[in-house]
Amino acid sequence: MNNRLVVFLFLVGLTFANDQIPGEDQKRPILLKGGVLHTVSTEVLEGYDILFSKGKIVRIEKNIMASPETDVYDVFGKHIIPSYIAPITRIGLVEIGLVKQTRDYAERGTYNPNVKANVSYNPDSELIPITRSNGVLIANSVPAGGRISGQSSVMMLDGWTWEQATLKHPSGLHINWPSMRINYGSNIKKSEKQQREEIQKSIRDLDDMIRNVRAYFQRIKQRSRLSDERQKADLRLESMIPFVIEQKSIFVHANEARQIKSAVDWARKNDLKIIIVGASDSWRLTDLLIKNNIPVIIDQVEKIPTRRFEPIHLPYKLPSILKAQGVQFCLNTIIGYPNDGNIRNLPNEAMRASAYGLDKNEALRSITLSTAEILGIDHMVGSLDIGKDATFFISETPPMEMNPKILMAFIQGREVDLNNHQKMLYKKYQEKYRRQGQLNQ
Amino acid sequence: MLKNILYIIFPFLLVAQTEPNENLQKNSPRVWTLTNGMIHTAPGDFIKGGSIVIRDGKIEAVGRYIKSPKDAYEINLEGAHVYAGFIESWLETKSYNDKSKTKRRHWDLKVRPDYRSVDNFDLKEKDLKALRSLGFTSAQLAPTQGIFRGQTGIVSLSDGPRAINSSIAQVIDFKYRTKGARTYPRSLLGVIAHIRQTFYDSDWYLKAQEIVQAYPTENEPISSNSSLESLGLSRALNKPFIFVSSNENSNSRAMNITKEFDLTPWILGSGYEYRNLDSFADINPFFIIPINFPSKPNVAKYMSDLQYSTKELKHWDIAPDNLLYLFNANHNFSITSHGLKKKSDFRKNLQKIIDRGLNKDIVLAALTTIPAEALGLEKSNGKIARGYNANLVIVDGEYFDPKSKVVSVWVEGKEIYISSKKTPSFLGEWSLKYDGTAYELKIVDLLKDQTNNIENKIYSGSIYYQGKTIDLYNIDIFESSISFSINGALIGHKGSITFNGELKDDQIIGTTKNTNIDKSSFQADRKTKDNSKEIKPESRSSLSVYKPEGAYGLIKKHPKPNAILINDATLWTCGPKGTLAEWDILFVDGKIEQVAPDITVPQGSAVVIEGAGKHITPGLIDCHSHSAASSINEGTQYITSEVRMRDVIDPNDINIYRQLGGGLTTANVLHGSANPIGGQNVVIKLRWGSNANELIFKNAPEGIKFALGENVKQANWSGTNRYPQTRMGVEQVIRDAFRAALDYKHANDNYSRNSKNQRTKTPPRKDLELDALVEILEGKRLVHCHSYRQDEILMLTRVAEDFGFKIATFQHVLEGYKVADRIAEHGAGASTFSDWWQYKYEVIDAIPYNGSMMTKSNVLVSYNSDDDELARRLNTEAAKAIQYGELSPNEALKLVTINPAKQLKIDKYVGSLEPKKDADFVIWDGEPLSIYSKVEETWIDGIRYFSQTDNKMLEERDYQLRKDLIQKILSTKGNGSSTSNINNSSLKNHEGHSCDIIDNTGVYDE
Repeated sequence: MNNRLVVFLFLVGLTFANDQIPGEDQKRPILLKGGVLHTVSTEVLEGYDILFSKGKIVRIEKNIMASPETDVYDVFGKHIIPSYIAPITRIGLVEIGLVKQTRDYAERGTYNPNVKANVSYNPDSELIPITRSNGVLIANSVPAGGRISGQSSVMMLDGWTWEQATLKHPSGLHINWPSMRINYGSNIKKSEKQQREEIQKSIRDLDDMIRNVRAYFQRIKQRSRLSDERQKADLRLESMIPFVIEQKSIFVHANEARQIKSAVDWARKNDLKIIIVGASDSWRLTDLLIKNNIPVIIDQVEKIPTRRFEPIHLPYKLPSILKAQGVQFCLNTIIGYPNDGNIRNLPNEAMRASAYGLDKNEALRSITLSTAEILGIDHMVGSLDIGKDATFFISETPPMEMNPKILMAFIQGREVDLNNHQKMLYKKYQEKYRRQGQLNQ
Repeated sequence: MLKNILYIIFPFLLVAQTEPNENLQKNSPRVWTLTNGMIHTAPGDFIKGGSIVIRDGKIEAVGRYIKSPKDAYEINLEGAHVYAGFIESWLETKSYNDKSKTKRRHWDLKVRPDYRSVDNFDLKEKDLKALRSLGFTSAQLAPTQGIFRGQTGIVSLSDGPRAINSSIAQVIDFKYRTKGARTYPRSLLGVIAHIRQTFYDSDWYLKAQEIVQAYPTENEPISSNSSLESLGLSRALNKPFIFVSSNENSNSRAMNITKEFDLTPWILGSGYEYRNLDSFADINPFFIIPINFPSKPNVAKYMSDLQYSTKELKHWDIAPDNLLYLFNANHNFSITSHGLKKKSDFRKNLQKIIDRGLNKDIVLAALTTIPAEALGLEKSNGKIARGYNANLVIVDGEYFDPKSKVVSVWVEGKEIYISSKKTPSFLGEWSLKYDGTAYELKIVDLLKDQTNNIENKIYSGSIYYQGKTIDLYNIDIFESSISFSINGALIGHKGSITFNGELKDDQIIGTTKNTNIDKSSFQADRKTKDNSKEIKPESRSSLSVYKPEGAYGLIKKHPKPNAILINDATLWTCGPKGTLAEWDILFVDGKIEQVAPDITVPQGSAVVIEGAGKHITPGLIDCHSHSAASSINEGTQYITSEVRMRDVIDPNDINIYRQLGGGLTTANVLHGSANPIGGQNVVIKLRWGSNANELIFKNAPEGIKFALGENVKQANWSGTNRYPQTRMGVEQVIRDAFRAALDYKHANDNYSRNSKNQRTKTPPRKDLELDALVEILEGKRLVHCHSYRQDEILMLTRVAEDFGFKIATFQHVLEGYKVADRIAEHGAGASTFSDWWQYKYEVIDAIPYNGSMMTKSNVLVSYNSDDDELARRLNTEAAKAIQYGELSPNEALKLVTINPAKQLKIDKYVGSLEPKKDADFVIWDGEPLSIYSKVEETWIDGIRYFSQTDNKMLEERDYQLRKDLIQKILSTKGNGSSTSNINNSSLKNHEGHSCDIIDNTGVYDE
């Protein structure tokens, strides 16, 4: 036997003492033996082997015989879990929330359909290793602000450049739906009618935009025979062609019932494929969402209800309500100041949902395969299946339990460094107190 | 001395005309007798068909058998009702805005107790008319600007209104600027502190002036200040202080100030008084209540009802009962038309109040005798009696019948015309009896649909008889008489018949003239109107008022059992005993009595809870909260140690209830972090359903918020240039403050030690800001310091040690792990986040191992929320210390129980399950550190404030209530009550960190 049998190599990650170096491309096939495979797509497979090669999962069976060039890891009793996927983040686009110089997620102006997240994704951001150390290996990086914020990109949380890190671009176009709220307070200056007109106008502006895209597309495709004149370039309209003509996903950020209703009506009218993000009130409109086949990304489970009169644990229960009604959904952590750094708490959102009625398997699915389906990357990631990317992690503890101990992680077969800035500081100051004779550190 | 000043300052305006006359003399007679009226001499008393003699603006006589004096001209008021002129108890006209900063004014232009509203007022003709058309003949004129707005006075609403008293009461408003220059105060916190300091200043000023005058050789003269002088005098004379209320919270805040300074309190009501009547119980203020009821909530459109809180929907239904609530609680009130957008709604709304059960005489009193008494006018106004001012309201029917019209008012003996008497209407259908036959008579107005001019009418009419329509001609209507003719042939008579009749009480009686026959009589009775158009009189709201009002509010207080026994549960004592499986715990009279393996009590003597499978922990404690507060930051000055969170507690905050649902029982409600030395914190217990004052954890020592770093040097927002701008400056600011405090203490000590000084020297001025700092120096006030970086943490421990005090807790303290040894040596606690980082530059080195690392370095560590939502899952926050740094579960739970209790020096009372401590505990359905465990019950002081069963019940109750209310609103015709709009703030985003939104200072607390 000249295949390299590596037993318990799992603390390797912690021995790095400098900045995290991106993993090397998978050169040799790797066989993980005897793990508990949380496939997500089917049931949990206990004591199975998983073989991956050139970044792809090639076999999942019991007792796979390894070829000589295969690295074999004994992972008996350890849990193999597909990457958690964060569907809405600003990863790579912001380093420090309050420092303007480090913010790249919101371009100036109302309509920015043409801006792309991945081109300004900073692969050396400190958020990346911190996020992935809890098993979130894939995140959708999303522009914000304005009416149309831009195009998001699904990123793998490892790589030398943004190009290497991009898993899918564009993953979608992001629209912030206008507020449908009418203010009646005594100090409100605008009349109800004025307010309604303003709301209608912002929706009409979106309609106009869609019509212009269709016209623009027609004009560039069908050159006029009558003249040499051609359509002059318009980056904004051009960038929307895939979403309007090819019906790629448009993510509509909307929480309130009237917003959701209005966004769905708009999508139907304009024949577009939308996904609702935020969706606090989605449980009030499940029929509408199901009828129109609209998936929902629940922006944060661990939050307080929008309204005082709502059940105090409504946000915790929202995923189980949607599940029971049959709405397609996945879960997210909250984004924006001061929360952009805690994408790593994504599993907590799923566990909280599970504590309030969502089946544990379904909870796991809502941060893996369901997310992949909604982002349109389920042919590559989201579950442990043959042919999919070898993007998963090995854990001492099963998924959906607090205090995970993650031993090793792979992104497309590349072993990922699980160390990070925080662990390094921890070690550094442990040394301080060790020198002072405090050995319990 | 006081008396002398009084004469100068309060010259009652007895002399009316002193100005020269520059035209021919105008001397209309001023002697009148009004006869035959229905005279309402006082609420509940009336004289039918009596007379009033008016002479020179006064009532000379009133009664049934009065002989009109020979020189008096008689006016017949047959059919009219006469009331004493109403007193508008709150009338605002724009105050003269004095920008000139004379040397004698208070340094803050918003403090103007010396301002008198009657010195400079401008009542518009239109407004004057509107008030008189409601029957008001005099008014209390109120100043409109500032915190101490100034003094009210009385004006008569005659043409060319004049002041008749210039100083009735002082007005205090809790308003603060949120826009424009960042001047103090810019928050409710600051306003209340400012009010308190100003009261102390006026006390001091009067005393100091007295001493300077008595011992001029011993003292430097102090500068004269008219604002403080006025305020001091108002107090010395026991003048009322009117608090302008904007909601139920401002009422209880006003009561706190009233108690502290022993004021005579009046309240200009907000309409929400019914929500916390108990806050007035032992004070009994006088109320001036507007009746601007909310307009009908707009719930008809798709999902638009979601915008309204349950509280707002309920208010729509209950608001007109506000006076009834006050009346039933034996409070004294007057009614004002203040706040009504359309003054014409005043009488409609009075009608509602009466329909809903408030006695008419009470309403009348609230417009006449009660305000007269309160304003000191009871000997001249409010009644129709000999010697009273001839202020009268003449109505063509009963005033409280909204259909009747105010014909005129008499102001000081002069009649001012309002509108013509009601002309009886002949329009409509009548059943006519003439010559033994019944006919149908119909009279219409041809101009009715074409013009709004009700004075001009063109009448047309017809008679129906045996299927025929016979037109009338020569119709002539004048006041209550009518005449018309018909062609008699059409009804079987000869020639034309002319009818002449008088209308009285829906009946026309008269005679006919026929060319052939002589006079005969006829009678026509008005057909009763179709009742469906009539608006049904409103009845009192059937809803009960919750405490606090709105969703999840309580109808009555929770019961408090004498004893509670929990059997066979897992007790996470957080004390020396650690975690005990299958133990018993007994609570008696709100305290923990016994913790033992097996406790038995006599049957029926305790509430017994079967604890098998359940886990009991102490109530969780949040050492850094901004919940239950209406105001967070007073960020204008770098030291605001005078402001107090206890002044701005908001017992209505639903997060109190939600956090109870997460097992939280105690919270340290802190001021924000806008300034190096911020405001005083308050520790509360989450006794949902209590008043603000009852939430306070009485045994908790006082404390204060400090802050360091980016926030206090204002690094993260633009447009500010306040000192300090660097961490170097921050250190100096704190040192400077404590040096000032030492000097202040020295001066005070000197003064109080020397009894001769106390007699002959001006006392040191009481300074609330420095008082708080002295308390820190004396170890009586705990310092909780917002901090991040190791340098500043180290710095503050050194500064504190230089001044001889200790920091109680560093808050956030995300680099605490770097100097854990120093923190431990100093003896401070550290209250931190489980895993926050990244949001600002100074947290770049924040690590989730911070808490466990400091714990292992012997620092007393707690985990806090600083967030409304995080505060309801502190148990799982604590659990993160197991993942990051491997604390044991017991150690982890202590981060949110006994450790914060120790940090707040309340561990004698709470924080662990040990005998003699408060019965604050949580029943969990599983291990408390597991994300899958839920709170079943939360108890405070032996009272169950949360349980899943109750929660479900409240949820269902409120769901049904909303449904019913929305249904009621939809089935209510018209606009319901118009006039003012309620603030619909139910969608106010509560997701953010509370410090982000409040006060617009832009100061974050993270």
